[in-house]
Amino acid sequence: MSTTTADVVSTQDSRSWGSLIGDFLIRHIMIVVMLLIVAFFAYRSARFATPDNLLTILIAAAPFALIALGQTLVILTGGIDLSVGSVIAASAMAAAWSAKSFGDNPVYPLIAAVLAGLIAGAVNGFVVARLNVPPFIATLGMLTLASGVAYVIGGGAPINGLPDSYGMWANTGVGGLTIPVILMIVAILAFAFIMRRTTYGLRVYAIGGNRLAAEIAGVRSRSILFSVYAISGLLAGLSGLMLSSRVITGAPNLGQGYELDAIAAVVIGGASLMGGRGTVWGTAIGLLLIQTINNGLDLLLVPAYWQNVIKGVIIVAAVTVDVWAAKRRK
Amino acid sequence: MPHTVVDASTETVMLLCEGIEMSFGGVPVLKGVDLRLRPGTVTALAGENGAGKSTLMKIASGQYKPDAGEVRVLGEILPAGNTKAANERGVAIVPQELASIPELTVYENLFIGREIRTPLGTLNRRAMIAEARKALGEFGLTIDPTVQVSTLPVGVRQIIEIVKATSRGARVLLLDEPTSAIAEREVARLAAVVHNLREQGVAVLFTTHKMEEIRAMADRVVVLRDGKLITDSALSDITDDGIVTAMIGRELENLFPDLGAHSDDIVLAVDELVVAPGAQPISFSVRRGEILGLAGLVGAGRTELIECIYGIRKAVSGTVTVSGHALRPGRPGSSIAQHVAIVPEDRKGAGAVLSMSILDNATLPRIAAFSHLGVITERKRKSAIGETMRSMRLKSNGLGQHMENLSGGNQQKVVLGRWLTGTVDTLLLDEPTRGVDVGARSEIYRIIVELAAQGMAVVMASSDMPEILSLAHRALVMREFGVAGELTRTQLAAPDVQDTIFRLASGLDASTASLTEEPNA
Repeated sequence: MSTTTADVVSTQDSRSWGSLIGDFLIRHIMIVVMLLIVAFFAYRSARFATPDNLLTILIAAAPFALIALGQTLVILTGGIDLSVGSVIAASAMAAAWSAKSFGDNPVYPLIAAVLAGLIAGAVNGFVVARLNVPPFIATLGMLTLASGVAYVIGGGAPINGLPDSYGMWANTGVGGLTIPVILMIVAILAFAFIMRRTTYGLRVYAIGGNRLAAEIAGVRSRSILFSVYAISGLLAGLSGLMLSSRVITGAPNLGQGYELDAIAAVVIGGASLMGGRGTVWGTAIGLLLIQTINNGLDLLLVPAYWQNVIKGVIIVAAVTVDVWAAKRRK
Repeated sequence: MPHTVVDASTETVMLLCEGIEMSFGGVPVLKGVDLRLRPGTVTALAGENGAGKSTLMKIASGQYKPDAGEVRVLGEILPAGNTKAANERGVAIVPQELASIPELTVYENLFIGREIRTPLGTLNRRAMIAEARKALGEFGLTIDPTVQVSTLPVGVRQIIEIVKATSRGARVLLLDEPTSAIAEREVARLAAVVHNLREQGVAVLFTTHKMEEIRAMADRVVVLRDGKLITDSALSDITDDGIVTAMIGRELENLFPDLGAHSDDIVLAVDELVVAPGAQPISFSVRRGEILGLAGLVGAGRTELIECIYGIRKAVSGTVTVSGHALRPGRPGSSIAQHVAIVPEDRKGAGAVLSMSILDNATLPRIAAFSHLGVITERKRKSAIGETMRSMRLKSNGLGQHMENLSGGNQQKVVLGRWLTGTVDTLLLDEPTRGVDVGARSEIYRIIVELAAQGMAVVMASSDMPEILSLAHRALVMREFGVAGELTRTQLAAPDVQDTIFRLASGLDASTASLTEEPNA
């Protein structure tokens, strides 16, 4: 073994700086794509590259970051969670309802949103892990169910007239960093640590890479599977609270279609929908890429419908570049 | 499917490879290889994994473009990197991973891509079924062309792939590791098919690293080592030892190490275990230092027995105890806690997580030992796993290397070695050397014998007869999920033991045993 190691080291040493830089760029192709996009917007809009605008991007990114992290775990196991958009709506409605019913205390909506998200995620996890229903189907069902629940809670209408304390969750902060932004940064760091450094992370990768082999090595795949959907639901609940707190309203159509942006972020980040491959850092980059595009196109006053067209093209193009780079890496 | 008898004069060269050189990422894989295939000949391309066999096959079949050299089919240059052109010139390859579509029927597989149509353009199924039956019949296969391919044993699927290639007019047939996935008795049928092809004037080239197959199928053997052609000989002019020496480049005095003694101390006790509904209950015990072989045909239930012992599969009834503790069925974790280790038959499907590194794979079964409060302790696992893998003589670019980039033999070393960072009392091995080349195989044998000598109780299921005969203190022959017979060390050393095992395994008298078809269980 030692001799082979020595061989590899020596071949790397003898290579030129040019090829080393080329290697780095290929390996981190999404960072390159990101920089190109940033450069383009900075060139076209004077307001783009300002601290204020950076904060705007981060604030917009925060609710997406939470569900994209949950989605990363689910996708690493080889599953998918289509329900997060609706779970955001149901959790937001539950939070708004609790604030209206129990009085002026910001803890009630927090508990209500987290509980609602966790229950929805736990049901997903149970149906997938215990009843062996394919994740696509199980969470598609939850997508419809949770959306229905969101409308039921409000009797088909948004919940308005909430106490001011309801807005605390999204609108307080230190030095311009609001709670959602801080939560996003903490969550990204925490999940990056969990997935790289803990037994739980290793087990998630293992069952996504090869469930049978993982089970033979003693991993209890059902509990791990259950947990990733529960976590995804819980994070969607928090995301719902942040979104509705920002506007101090519970709206039953909140978060509609967010699951697709979350999945896009994970896939742009280099994860395989077959499971076993992907990283938290990749998801963070994918997320920032999408949010940067949203923000930049807004600043350039591109009409909303055209924004979707452009975003769709960029998502597919970005993954195409990644597939190309993955081939070059071999 | 017109099969004219080609004049097998020594002048015609069906396939000619000249000065083939090829390297991947700066590493030379083939260093100037010349190869000629004449009609009506069967050539074995032998060599260890990594010798360049598969690469040569892929160049000969037009899949890869060589860095230097050329391929000619009947004197005509084959345009490199063009599989279709190769097919049109009559060169076909049957890859190691079978290309048949299991959900389709036999005839649909045979005709896919060149379907027979009615004048209206719809599928003419009746004509295809009739043609398929005729094509299968020429190879002595009596299977119904309308059955789904997934219901057939792997060996038959492979022959269907061969029929598919030749019914499209292949004159040169390349078989990549044709026997790696099939049972011993199916090898005989494959040999018959290959001989049939030879009579039809087809030039056959197959890769292998098993001596029995070279003897059964080939009339000429070509050995590749380190990208060079070492030996090219008529089979009658070379001994088995000569072939092995050419393959590994050194004398292999002893493929099998000597067995150590075992104690009387019972470690594993299997009591009245019913592996499948309606099967005979199985009882046996394995002592410290003892290697128990499990012989039998494919589908006899060896894998199922091992899985039931380990607890990844639930037995119908019965108990398994290790050092006096009963294992909980369906809970591999409880088996691991009792120091049971398993090396599954299907390395890629059940043994390793190919998308993860060596280090992560080796961490999984002993994860509790390498973590504190759920956080992995990097230093501890790196030193323990590094040391074990060194003792296994693992060849890798370091512990961070992904499993999918290792050779079969090295993957197997990881799948076995990952247990050895902790105590193992019972070791369950299912086909421990499947897809492993000769050099790595002798190392794996050495490791197994050493582990037994250290006091493990070993259960080893194997379809490789020499393994059972040379590596087991005692052997059980399985049939229909039960035990058909038990052989002691003395009986295993008897000259007619292979015949005895076959008779027990098939449940028939060996002389009347026929190679008739039965679906895989």
